[in-house]
Amino acid sequence: MKYRISSSRHCLVMVMLSLAAASSNVYAESDYQALQNEVQALRQELSELRALVKQQSASQEDVKSLRQEVKATSRAQSEATNADSVAHIAGYAAVGLTDRSQSGGSAFSVASFNPIFHFLYKDIALAEAELEIAAAPDGTTETKLEYASIDIFLNDNTTLVAGKILSPLGYFRQNLHPAWVNKFPSITPGFGEGQAAPSSEVGLGVRGGYPLGEGKKLKYALYVGNGPELEVDGSEIHGIESDGYTRDVDHRKVVGGRIGLVPLPRLELGISAADGGVGLEGEPDRSYRVLGTDVGYQWKQLDLRAEYISQRVGDLATSVAPDGGTWKAWYGQASYKFLPTKWEGVLRYGKYISPHADQRQEQWAVGVNYLWGPSVMAKLGYEFNQGLAGENTDANRWLLQFAYGF
Amino acid sequence: MLNNSFHWAASLVSAVLLSMAMAGVSHAEPSASVQDDPGHFARGAQAWANNCASCHNLRPAKDLRDDQWRVVVAHMRVRADLTGQEARDVLKFLQESN
Ligand code: HEC
Repeated sequence: MKYRISSSRHCLVMVMLSLAAASSNVYAESDYQALQNEVQALRQELSELRALVKQQSASQEDVKSLRQEVKATSRAQSEATNADSVAHIAGYAAVGLTDRSQSGGSAFSVASFNPIFHFLYKDIALAEAELEIAAAPDGTTETKLEYASIDIFLNDNTTLVAGKILSPLGYFRQNLHPAWVNKFPSITPGFGEGQAAPSSEVGLGVRGGYPLGEGKKLKYALYVGNGPELEVDGSEIHGIESDGYTRDVDHRKVVGGRIGLVPLPRLELGISAADGGVGLEGEPDRSYRVLGTDVGYQWKQLDLRAEYISQRVGDLATSVAPDGGTWKAWYGQASYKFLPTKWEGVLRYGKYISPHADQRQEQWAVGVNYLWGPSVMAKLGYEFNQGLAGENTDANRWLLQFAYGF
Repeated sequence: MLNNSFHWAASLVSAVLLSMAMAGVSHAEPSASVQDDPGHFARGAQAWANNCASCHNLRPAKDLRDDQWRVVVAHMRVRADLTGQEARDVLKFLQESN
């Protein structure tokens, strides 16, 4: 019985085992298939990945050539920034519209482009030149050399300037006339070319500054040049032209300069003077004298300035134009930036007195400017003009200008 | 007449010489001591605020690249009668805040 039991138990175990074996056999077969599929998929994935990695990872050679490229680029970069000589183009462009509907109608009256070229050698020399390329009313193009000079930095306080320079006399002509700097679309009466303020000079000068303590300074500019020439109309001197001449018809140089005092930061007071000769070809020279004074003050968003300038030509009885005369002008201007908006308001008063009634002018001007950036703007202005009846100087006008300093 | 102009040219040359003697001629190239000067940047910021808005709107550092500022600051040094020290300070300030 014991055997029986044991043999029947044995039989049971055998049956169970064979059942288990049969069922596990079934399980193993499908599992194996799945596993095999999985391995196949993984293999596929791996080989794809391998190909991808191979494609993406740089070879030794790639790394080497990349290193060389980086080296060359950084050398070029540091050469560009540390080279002894640097070249740069700056300048400005202006376009504008004038509407003098009371008298002369309206016209798109301004299209000018003034490139400025700069070349700097170490901290020793700067060559600077500005061209004015402007569309003339008759459709031709006017090109003018505004200045071309070589400046040598002699020391911390003295720079030698030589060549065709903006006249160091006064403030507006040399510092404020570019369209993106001038707060109003037009130039104040008397400060235009051939009027009361000298514009250019060909000669030699020194300029610089001395610190006088915290925020205080003395500025100076002294020069000797060929001086201006007279523009004669019949038996009258029509105007004094200071385009910057490379001849000196009167054979007498003009010497002068400006001294500026900065007693407080952002306040500057200046006086200008010049003395010398002016004349006409074949005539003896006659006296030429310039006197000027200027002031500028900035406080927060307010900018105030005023200037007076006069040029006087002596009489000469033996000349074709015996009478001399004084051409003088002054102006005052206030402008205010309404931060944080981009708007700016301007108010200006100016007066120009000349020996000729048709040149005289008195003007009030109001303007509003919109600044897209510090040197990109639209300026809209209105001038209330008083001059000789019937002349352009007597007609009020609207002006619109776009200016961009780059 | 000619004497007159020579006289003036001579005075101008003497003015140059005098001014050079007063300041000592040095081409003021940025030396190591200038570059390491810790007050450089702060002085530059001050000089920029005091000097660079008296004629036109202030031009921020990012208007131009560092190498362009080198030329422009030299240009403005002549235009605005900056001292060499002011020009170096302003340049340092503009380049470092760029
Ligand atoms: C005395 C007036 C004046 C002062 C002060 C002045 N600028 Fe200018 N700046 C000008 C004028 C004018 C121009 C237009 C260029 C020309 O007509 O030669 C100009 C042009 C520029 C330009 C345009 C690029 C170029 O070189 O023409 C930049 C940028 C500039 N100034 C930055 C400065 C900085 C920075 C300072 C302070 C160190 C400064 N300016 C102080 C008058 C001035």
